[in-house]
Amino acid sequence: MKLARKLLLIDRRIIFLLVLAGAVIPILFPIGLAVQVSPPVRAVFQRVEALRPGQTLLLSFDYGPSDGPELDPMADAILRHCHKRGVKVVGLSLFPLGGVDMAFARLRQLATELGARDGEDWVNLGYKDGGQAAMKAMGDNLALVFPVDANGVPVGEIPLMRAVRNYNDVGLAVSLATSVLGEWWINLVNAQFGVDVAVGTTAVSAPKYYAFMEAKQAVGVIGGMKGASEYEELVAEAYPDLAGLSRTATVGMDVQSIVHLVILFFILFGNAMFLATRRTRQEA
Amino acid sequence: MQLQLPGIGEWMAAFFTLCIFSFLYRDNVLYRLAESIFAGVSFGYYIGLARLNTLEPNLFRPLFSDFAGHWPLLIPFALGLILYLRYVPKAAWISNWALAIYIGYYIGVNLIQRLHGEVLPQAKGTMLSLQVPPGQLLGNLVIILGVLTVLIYFFFSSPQRGPLKPAARIGVYYLMISFGASFGYTVMGRISLLIGRLTFVIHEWARPLVRAVFGG
Amino acid sequence: MKKQVPILLAVVASLCPVVGFLLPQPWVDEWMNRRLDEWMVIIASFALVLGVVSVVQVNLHKVRRRSRGWGFSLALLLSLGIMSAFGLFGGQGERADGSLHPFTWVFQFAFSPLQATMFSLLAFYVASASYRAFRVRNVEASLLLVGAVLIMIGRIPLGQAIHPLVPQIAEWIMQFPNTAAQRGIIIGAALGAAAMSIRVMVGIERPYLGKS
Repeated sequence: MKLARKLLLIDRRIIFLLVLAGAVIPILFPIGLAVQVSPPVRAVFQRVEALRPGQTLLLSFDYGPSDGPELDPMADAILRHCHKRGVKVVGLSLFPLGGVDMAFARLRQLATELGARDGEDWVNLGYKDGGQAAMKAMGDNLALVFPVDANGVPVGEIPLMRAVRNYNDVGLAVSLATSVLGEWWINLVNAQFGVDVAVGTTAVSAPKYYAFMEAKQAVGVIGGMKGASEYEELVAEAYPDLAGLSRTATVGMDVQSIVHLVILFFILFGNAMFLATRRTRQEA
Repeated sequence: MQLQLPGIGEWMAAFFTLCIFSFLYRDNVLYRLAESIFAGVSFGYYIGLARLNTLEPNLFRPLFSDFAGHWPLLIPFALGLILYLRYVPKAAWISNWALAIYIGYYIGVNLIQRLHGEVLPQAKGTMLSLQVPPGQLLGNLVIILGVLTVLIYFFFSSPQRGPLKPAARIGVYYLMISFGASFGYTVMGRISLLIGRLTFVIHEWARPLVRAVFGG
Repeated sequence: MKKQVPILLAVVASLCPVVGFLLPQPWVDEWMNRRLDEWMVIIASFALVLGVVSVVQVNLHKVRRRSRGWGFSLALLLSLGIMSAFGLFGGQGERADGSLHPFTWVFQFAFSPLQATMFSLLAFYVASASYRAFRVRNVEASLLLVGAVLIMIGRIPLGQAIHPLVPQIAEWIMQFPNTAAQRGIIIGAALGAAAMSIRVMVGIERPYLGKS
């Protein structure tokens, strides 16, 4: 049992190396495992699918760079879906630490990819401080909170914004959230203004949103990289001409599979060693 | 085809990425330097963000372009400045006025959010029918039992005796399953972040570099 | 004056959104919702930067005294100065020619990799903790472990490859036991937060007065 005890005290850097290897190998040599779609993600997809061309989807980039790998692919998949269907996108951010720059990057890149026009098919209103105050004020008038877009153009001069005064003109609000902001979109915007809300969230926060979804406070939840890969899959299935575009979350799920296996091995092996040493101690 | 080396931005991003990763081996000067730069850039970012996104479009521009129509904005402007009096020892107490309004407002908003936006709809969502097909019945029972027992467990104000004790125990079991699920999701979340960084280092920095140097 | 005025202001300010919500009258809506919300966006912006002053004070002090690690403080101050100068005197996003404003450039190539890498370190520590600390010591810990393992297998494509039932079990756990537990937590925490709000609204709790 000395061996078991030694293994339990193994240098953590060996564990780090195994995790690194588990991540690097599938990045270099993708496996291409199939992704199965779960009901919460399908619900979001169907709600976006139900929006008529010309209707508005409000997309709030409530996350920063540290959550980009999980939430950027969601933004990309939703934007592709909207641009393809002719759904107008109003982008904004209420998350201080990088939200506006995530919005800049995603909105610009996807518009270029699908030829969507700034100010007509989509707009980036930028970031605003205040959290709940901004959310409440937007219920009255978006221009009150965002008098100009992220480039400094007055909203009155933006063709898309002429048809969007407040939440009444929004078909669906989607918050891609890393923090409590996703909850606020539900417990404030949905609760007080009645606008349908869907949340794309980091995996860490996903379990909580199930309670909101089951109580019909949110139309659906896209949880973490897995949820993002499911949305990518749904878009590719429904619009085969978009299937060839990059699907970073789906590729990432290969890596997830391998690293999950490594960590599961650690959990099970660690417990086996723990039980072995405990039994020896009891016998002694 | 001319092969290009990664740009200065990619080099800088890769350098910072490797500096932070070096902490996995052990704490070192490069890591601490990167950490300090991160803190500095973050605070600087807040300043720029506030000016570019809120103060200029929502305060200064309206005041300078149409003072007569926007003069009430002087009130939040003044309150915002008063917040900074906390750094002037003799006048620090005045900053509490602005802070009281700021905190008070959010306390009021939070009260409505929590009661109207969480307690009521979540309680309503738990009042599930038991006259449903057997498959659905099981799910509904699991939810009703779970919510009640978790709430019983959270009743800190009364000691859990008699039938409350086993009920609270069941509540703990529910919480453990949920925390286990959260752990599973947390693992996925953390790996996602690692994937993001490694993908950058491999595909946007190392691969172009290798191609540029060795060709191919 | 030092105590009573802030208490009065906090009570009034906290009642405004509540009255605004409960009393849908045009004048109430104008002053207690619309105006106040608009003002709070601005005050919140000032509040966001409030802590930066302390950070500058502390680090300047360290540099002046040449305290241990003053070089790192200097790096912090320099990067803070450069980034805030870009933010105060430049723009954000892309210029008309497609190049990035310096503020956004530094965000993309310094802030972004630094923050993302800092958080990505957690992947390694989660693995290490899984090996060293995740133990089946009792019933509760066993349930935690079972929940974690089922979700981990059920959420990766490999789980689906093992058996189609695996992801379905994971989804059932999320939809029912997890939802029930999370709902209990949400209701419990919301009631606690509401009670705390009421204590502030009636002046029992005074977080705005600080230590004074």
